[in-house]
Amino acid sequence: MGNIRQIAIYGKGGIGKSTTTQNLTAGLVEHGKKVMVVGCDPKADSTRLLLGGLAQKTVLDTIREEGEDIALDRIMKEGYGGTRCVESGGPEPGVGCAGRGIITSINMLENLGAYTDDLDYVFYDVLGDVVCGGFAMPIREGKAKEIYIVASGEMMALYAANNISKGIQRYARTGGVRLGGIICNSRNVDRELDLLRAFSSELGTKLLYFVPRDNIVQHAEINKKTVIEYRPDSNQAQEYRNLAQAVIENEDFVIPTPMTQERLEQILMEYGMMELADDYKI
Amino acid sequence: MAKILDKQRYKCALAAMQTVQAIDRALPILHSGPGCAQKLSDGTGSSGYFSPNIFPCTSINEKDVVFGGVKKLNSTIENSLKVIDADLYVVLTGCIPEIVGDDSEEVVTRFEDADKPVVYAPTAGFKGNNYKGHEQVVDAIIDQYLKKSDKKEEGLVNIWADVPYQDLFWLGNLREIEKLISELGLKPNTIFGYNRGIMNIDKIPEAQFNLLVSPWVGLSNVKKLEKKFGTPFLHYKTLPIGATETSKFLREVGKFAGVSEIKVESVIKEHEDYYYYLIARYADLFLENRVINKQFSVVADAQYTLAITKFLVNDLGLLPATQFITDDTPKVYHDAIREEFENLNFGIKAEVLFETDGYKIHNNIKEHDYHGYPLVLGGYYEKELTEELKGNFLNISWPFQDRVVMDTSYAGYSGSIKLIEDIYTVAVSRFN
Repeated sequence: MGNIRQIAIYGKGGIGKSTTTQNLTAGLVEHGKKVMVVGCDPKADSTRLLLGGLAQKTVLDTIREEGEDIALDRIMKEGYGGTRCVESGGPEPGVGCAGRGIITSINMLENLGAYTDDLDYVFYDVLGDVVCGGFAMPIREGKAKEIYIVASGEMMALYAANNISKGIQRYARTGGVRLGGIICNSRNVDRELDLLRAFSSELGTKLLYFVPRDNIVQHAEINKKTVIEYRPDSNQAQEYRNLAQAVIENEDFVIPTPMTQERLEQILMEYGMMELADDYKI
Repeated sequence: MAKILDKQRYKCALAAMQTVQAIDRALPILHSGPGCAQKLSDGTGSSGYFSPNIFPCTSINEKDVVFGGVKKLNSTIENSLKVIDADLYVVLTGCIPEIVGDDSEEVVTRFEDADKPVVYAPTAGFKGNNYKGHEQVVDAIIDQYLKKSDKKEEGLVNIWADVPYQDLFWLGNLREIEKLISELGLKPNTIFGYNRGIMNIDKIPEAQFNLLVSPWVGLSNVKKLEKKFGTPFLHYKTLPIGATETSKFLREVGKFAGVSEIKVESVIKEHEDYYYYLIARYADLFLENRVINKQFSVVADAQYTLAITKFLVNDLGLLPATQFITDDTPKVYHDAIREEFENLNFGIKAEVLFETDGYKIHNNIKEHDYHGYPLVLGGYYEKELTEELKGNFLNISWPFQDRVVMDTSYAGYSGSIKLIEDIYTVAVSRFN
């Protein structure tokens, strides 16, 4: 398992983690990489584009209905370009402990031998708000050593990214986890690129890639496909290929230096975001 | 910063299953991991109606953590009702379901129409110790089982005192207080021990008043009873041991209940005459014995530390060194309890420390000059320490390892005679 790059993708809810992860995966597949995607979200929607919308039975649903004595192919499906897709799933809303569910699922994947030597990448697509220790599971115990945070120029996205960095900092000392950079999933906010660069540098990392906004992503999603599969010749498909290239070539892994709320707001002011409200005129 | 709590004198709130066990024909149903009950049930004298160690338990595992354990709880209650004949079923939750967020209360309400009453007490260990757990169980009975009643019975007194099994003398003490209350012409009502149970629980709302004999445990319960049923309560902070305190106790209860002074004084006189006859006969032992020295320390919960300190000072004329309260008494009660230690006879004040750490307690005892052999009344943890200090030791608080107590009491006039016997038996056997 030594050569597998295990990567966890974090970021604010709704920022586009799953979309980015799957498109990035498609990009890696084109490079001939063997990839496994593990959805760590009770909503279980992390592999839809790779599987072409195939209803994936989650690990936890399978355990609930069939017990723990199951074969790997009951919970792992093959998707676009031979990617292996797993959804952890969760309990019904309002009962049980979804965080523990993530821990149980990942342990089960290990016990069933899902991490084979031929894998190049494993992605953990973790739900937006890391509410308890269970959702930090992928970065604990030396599982994912590499983290990318998906963000945009919106304040709450940066606020979440800063918080996630605090978690990474905590586990960096014991688990060896490192931040590989920020991926901007653009929302077309003013001066977004500058803001994200400044924010990343304040965190002690870099803006790994800036993914521009393009409606083709939504079209591809409606068609249950990644952009690379849906419109391989489009500009956006090339953007995702470039992102994949950036991940492959990335060698800068750092312990992030999260900032105070005051400093974060200061950076937002510097890049004009906070002033917009004052300039607002009817 | 985390630290080691050395020689802790209590268990987690789930140990309130012992409170349930003390109610005749009541059954604890545990919603917890399988190990909890096993670790908590070491109380001797707890076998009997059902079992000391075998209870219905959901024995939850990782799967129940992930998906929630309410289905298992539902079936455990359902099947307990089918196969175990009890009068009252008390569902107690451990830490895991409370952390995961199982709605145990909702599950229990599904059994509202069952033939037998089922109530629920949240007793997660992180909520506090078994003193708090005991209060939770009594609260659960008040809130979920007892119904308002227009019927009031003049002279009926609910008595609340010790925490069963945590206090080895709980049964004897309750019987002794019942006896004293009866002698005043009142009708005692307790829910714990032989032949009490559901029959007496049903009478709780009809009482003229609630009598709480305890520095703090149970205060929230009697306040709740006052709110729900309008029943007034008398909070008597000291478990009466010896003539001084017991006579004071009878006078206060008599006054509160409206018993005539003549009646109260005649009860007191009869007891005191016999009590002082015994004390006088053994006066030479108390005066001449050089083994029981003047200074003592008690290491126990608030109930026993206060009661025994008062008795040894007020009745036996000993002098208090530092006294230790080990039950993690909530801070809100500290001042009122400390005040009790400052109002001893002969203008004597006792220093009292609220301390749960046995290491600190032992250091304090080691460093103090007792002006002779220290007399230490405490838990079994103090036995070795007292031997090192060549002192005299009597095991009066949890943990109990070197004595068997079936229905012995230290309360009242007769109980205090038993306590004197025990202390001086240690003294006279020292060189024999």
